[in-house]
Amino acid sequence: MSFNRLQPEDFLISADSIAAGCWTGNSASISSFNTYAVQTGGASGQYYYNVYQKTATEVDAEVQFAVAYGNLNGSGSVLFDAGVDGRSPTSVVYGQFQNIILGDEDTNFTYGSITPTGSDQYFWAISVNRARFKGNMLPASLDLLIANGGTGLQLTDNSADIGSDTFTEAGRVYQVISGSNGSADATSGGINSTYGSYGLFLPDIGVILLNGPAICEDSSVGAPANNSNQDDLEPGELITNLTSFRLNSNENITSDYVFIRARNSEYNYSENPSFITGSTGEVKYSSFINSPQTFITTVGLYNDNNDLLAVAKLSKPLKKDFTKEALIRVKLDF
Amino acid sequence: MGYLNNAVVTVDAILTTKGRELLARGDGSFKITQFALADDEIDYSLYNPSHPSGSAFYGQALENMPLLEAMPEATQNLRYKLATLPRGTAKMPVLDAGFSAIVLKQGSSLAITPQTLNYLGNNQVFETNGYSVTIADIRTLSSFNGVGVDQTIPEGTNTTSTYGTSVSQTVIGTTINLTATTVNTLFGANTSLTTSLLITGRDSGARVTIPVTINKTNA
Repeated sequence: MSFNRLQPEDFLISADSIAAGCWTGNSASISSFNTYAVQTGGASGQYYYNVYQKTATEVDAEVQFAVAYGNLNGSGSVLFDAGVDGRSPTSVVYGQFQNIILGDEDTNFTYGSITPTGSDQYFWAISVNRARFKGNMLPASLDLLIANGGTGLQLTDNSADIGSDTFTEAGRVYQVISGSNGSADATSGGINSTYGSYGLFLPDIGVILLNGPAICEDSSVGAPANNSNQDDLEPGELITNLTSFRLNSNENITSDYVFIRARNSEYNYSENPSFITGSTGEVKYSSFINSPQTFITTVGLYNDNNDLLAVAKLSKPLKKDFTKEALIRVKLDF
Repeated sequence: MGYLNNAVVTVDAILTTKGRELLARGDGSFKITQFALADDEIDYSLYNPSHPSGSAFYGQALENMPLLEAMPEATQNLRYKLATLPRGTAKMPVLDAGFSAIVLKQGSSLAITPQTLNYLGNNQVFETNGYSVTIADIRTLSSFNGVGVDQTIPEGTNTTSTYGTSVSQTVIGTTINLTATTVNTLFGANTSLTTSLLITGRDSGARVTIPVTINKTNA
């Protein structure tokens, strides 16, 4: 009497792609980049710096992304063992991203058509927090301005300029180029003529790898020392030079639509105590005997054990009587 | 729990606590197969069949009222289900537990066999799927069980708790057996304990709440 079985045609599964601003509060752009001295000065600070959208000690400050510096030769941080060359946090970071992106420790990164060698094998890795980029970063939404005063280097990905996507071990990869909204700057062609592109944009893992030599040559970011056995605070060098960072997140949400159909002869009476009068169950108004009216406020979705799995509330009551049929679409997101 | 914006008609859907649990379990038990409708929050005394503007306005006070958001606790939703009954029904199914109030001495037992009046054209008084019975404070009973229907079903509804101790408990059955506690500690300086028993027909949706009093007899 109270429960109605759902039919196969009452269900629809749909996947929708939702794009939104990447940063806290769905903001698409941030221009304030703050680190936290406790973190940067601690053990993890040897590997990466967390970046907050506001002063880190404020209540609603959240980590937006982390910046790590990777150097194949281990330069820019203190060696784990003074007697063992090339083994330091920066070489660990380099190998970490080499493993994730290239899948092979013997393969080198290639930026555009240029593969750096020797002391040019270093990068800054911007790793966006998963809660910020959700499913993946939206190609063509990257606009990263590196400028410490004066004219800066405006970076984007080249997704709008290419015909088909390229894939690595870490999913899709696009070149980071100078330009905006996914297209290269018309005059420069978007790349550094000596070092190739400005990096790799990896939307599926939330990482932007900035090609160190190209960045240092064309922006205000200072070139790191070579063969340095000390902490050169290189993540901080990049963060200091960031001016604005625009990026959108992208998320595929799978929705389960359930169509609830109340036919004209159904659900016209109520077990609501105010629907009856007295203890014998007589309906409250004589007109309710032949022309009852109910007001639907709630939909309950059950399994075969009568467990209430999901509940839906209407924003206003829906009048139901023998002359009306109701169709309610309930959307469950997973 | 806030109000839903009723400037536009929307449907605010959430998984219940039970739904999330079954989804996490991943054993296929999260499978929506049926639905029910309810009119929680509606007070039919506001319905006005003598409205001077005619029948289109009888439900005027109810049609535009703002509604509260859905709540994740399953027992707090769909309290008053809508029923499909033949046109011309003058009496709604009503639960009769045989008691308007239950008073028990410490240690004494009682069996309740609810009946549903006006059910299926008066051809049947017991509901096929039995009755769901919830005691608001299980600590007042030393035993509480139902017989006649599979007992694995109501386990998930025993979720109301305080300080880690479950205080409400639900059983189902066609007959419910309960025995009052013999523990004196719960009474403190009082001579009686009070709680309530909520009985719901699992087919009809009819429900009744009965106050329960346990009188202290042990010294």
